[in-house]
Amino acid sequence: MSVKDFGFWLSDFWKDFRKEKSGLIGLGIIVLAILVVILEPFCLTWKDANSKWGDISYWQDNSASAPPAWTNIFKAKKSAVTMRLENGKVEEAELDGGVKMVSTSFDYTFKADEPPLDLVFHCRGTGDNVNVLLSVTRPDGQTIELVQRLESGLNDTDIRLSAENDGREALFAFLKSNDTEENTASISADSIRATNILFAKAQEGMSSKFEPLKGKYTITAQSMLINPETDKFEKPYTVVNGAVSGVLGTDTMKRDVFSGLVAGLKWALLIGLLTSFVSVLIGVMYGIISAYYGGVVDSVMQFVYQIFTSMPVLPILIVVSAVFKPSIWFIIGVMVVFFWTGPVMTVRSMALQIKEETYIEAGKALGASNQRIIWKHMTPLLIPYSFASMALSVPSAIVYESSVSLLGLGDATIVTWGQILHDAMQGSAILNGVWWWIIPPGLLIAILGMAFAFLGFAMDKILHPKLRTR
Amino acid sequence: MYKWFAVKRISKGIVMYALLILIFSVLFNSVNETTMRSQIEEQVRMESQRLKNAKPGDIQRFQAERKQTLIKLYKLDRPMGERIIFRTVDTLTFNFGKSTNIKSSAGEREVLTIVGEAIPRTLVLFLVAAIFEIGIGIMLGLKKAQKPGGALDRSSSMVTMIIYGMPTWWLAMIFIMFFVYGIKAFPSGGMHTVPPPEGFAYLLDMVWHMVLPLLTLIVIGIWSVSFVIRNIVLGTLQEDFIMSARARGIPENKVLYGHTLRTAAPPIVTMSLLSLLGAISGSIIFEGIFSWPGLGNLYWIAVQQNDIPVLMADLAITTGLYQAGLVILDLTYGFLDPRIKVGGKA
Repeated sequence: MSVKDFGFWLSDFWKDFRKEKSGLIGLGIIVLAILVVILEPFCLTWKDANSKWGDISYWQDNSASAPPAWTNIFKAKKSAVTMRLENGKVEEAELDGGVKMVSTSFDYTFKADEPPLDLVFHCRGTGDNVNVLLSVTRPDGQTIELVQRLESGLNDTDIRLSAENDGREALFAFLKSNDTEENTASISADSIRATNILFAKAQEGMSSKFEPLKGKYTITAQSMLINPETDKFEKPYTVVNGAVSGVLGTDTMKRDVFSGLVAGLKWALLIGLLTSFVSVLIGVMYGIISAYYGGVVDSVMQFVYQIFTSMPVLPILIVVSAVFKPSIWFIIGVMVVFFWTGPVMTVRSMALQIKEETYIEAGKALGASNQRIIWKHMTPLLIPYSFASMALSVPSAIVYESSVSLLGLGDATIVTWGQILHDAMQGSAILNGVWWWIIPPGLLIAILGMAFAFLGFAMDKILHPKLRTR
Repeated sequence: MYKWFAVKRISKGIVMYALLILIFSVLFNSVNETTMRSQIEEQVRMESQRLKNAKPGDIQRFQAERKQTLIKLYKLDRPMGERIIFRTVDTLTFNFGKSTNIKSSAGEREVLTIVGEAIPRTLVLFLVAAIFEIGIGIMLGLKKAQKPGGALDRSSSMVTMIIYGMPTWWLAMIFIMFFVYGIKAFPSGGMHTVPPPEGFAYLLDMVWHMVLPLLTLIVIGIWSVSFVIRNIVLGTLQEDFIMSARARGIPENKVLYGHTLRTAAPPIVTMSLLSLLGAISGSIIFEGIFSWPGLGNLYWIAVQQNDIPVLMADLAITTGLYQAGLVILDLTYGFLDPRIKVGGKA
């Protein structure tokens, strides 16, 4: 089949395919998924989710088990959404004696009813005398100096200041100056929630009941660099840590679920497509060769085929993964070993018919070699069938891989949907009702499977007119 | 004739099973032997602890000797080929040895007991589910075939495709979240409440624990079953004898369940058994979500505790069950369709 022929065949196929609504839906979903994979850097809300999925410190500023941000719609009292404040206003001033003052300020508009869970400031410091003063100016004009820290021996080291860890004393003092003595008598700096005070109206009774003070908060980090030549204060940013977070919330390890799902999409597609492509190709060739040569070759090949079909796939896959602790490529390889049997019987029976056609006989009479007949005359006729077969075996490849990952036997260096579900099981997400951790990954597996099923059944219907509804 | 067909098919199944076990033995030889060696070490250490009064030199000599005998006993000193054959024969005679961690419900560490007590639990779950699936699937499939292209046919075919790539265990998680922790209607897992009640209540308790796993399997299973049954029955419904039966005024239900189903029985039985086998080979680990203590759950436990003997025995038994299912499949098909056994090559 030449390229031109293939073009004709394709336009013919498309004419039929256009009428299959479900097939178009499936194709649409798959195209969308491929687009997301191509545009992954733009879709990821956490850019390094791929490489740092297992790195706890990368996710430390998130809140754990935070529901998705959109759940606020259904709540009477809105929770603060996690926000990352970057590109603060930078002011630099030279003081006497060569000392430099660098201050960065971030504006945060607080309009929720519940306070954020934490306020975290980050920067990179270099040098032996880096002094950072973190203060917050509230909408009512009061400024609270949360914490002052002097760090030394830094070499582009991360400095992390959080209200919850470092600002308790200052906030407790602020509380005491605003509330009556009886109210604050029974509490200490250790028993308060820092943000409950920072974002509350300064009034009597604020220690027991939270009244939100809405408006613009300015978070300022001032750094005094004694020796501006060597000391540095760079890349400051602030995270306001809300009770709800991101498109799909966070898990108990503070990871952003949405980023994990986007990162897992390419693996799901790769696993499904590569497994089905390789295994269907092998299966089609196997069926053709078995049918074409017949006799002893056929008998032996059928026996080998029967050995493979009499193995339960998933149990073997689990045991192999448990014993060999494989990489994702190995898992794909093992799946190919089992999946190639899928199209063999159908292809063999089709090839047995084609083999008896007169043009094959003519080819033989003209002295064509076996290889030429197989490749030029038989394979092109059976390739269309294999497309439908490929599409239909993608979902099971994805499901098998996620089943293995669910048991915790997947490739630990990558993020797959099955592994996210494994973590969810480990983190007892079912018990705690962390639905945003369980429903989305499985739903994506199901949707991707559905898309390929739509596509496969539509192709099957067109390429196998016999199956059409009578 | 049928007897010969049966004998041939069964012996072929046994040969195939032996071959598979041989393949497993080759594949997992090194990990099996590592586990065996460490088990021997442990056993020798346990035994030497009993010799309290012996001198240190004696203990060492005893340990070395004992290790040698055990290594000889398990044939670990023989060449690789012989070891593999020996292990294959061991597995084929259900001589799985002792587990490293897992204990049976009676507290034994005999792997055969551990796996053996899991078999009926898995079978009961999957068989009951299959019965429901096939019952509902046949009814739905016949209704679909009555009006091909109708609203019911199209919508349920759509559901078949939507559910095509949905993992059973994920649906199980969702069901647990909704039915167990949401509306608190069912227990979260296991087979019985602890301690199990006596008498008739025991059975009721088990059924109560079984509802949710069954529901999961059925909700996933019926769609594809009904889809295949529709395709099988569709041809039969176009036959002349169906038309004549309808013309004779035989009630529609009798035409469907009597005439049509009877004719289409062989492929339906095949398909039902195949879907049962598919469930065993594909969604067995969903038992782990419900902590249903069957073979699938055993995979979870064995993987978590890294118990290689149990894992291997579980694999051997699952493969055996699968193989037996394939044999039964061919036997029933040959029984229902007399044409098979004459021309059938075993």
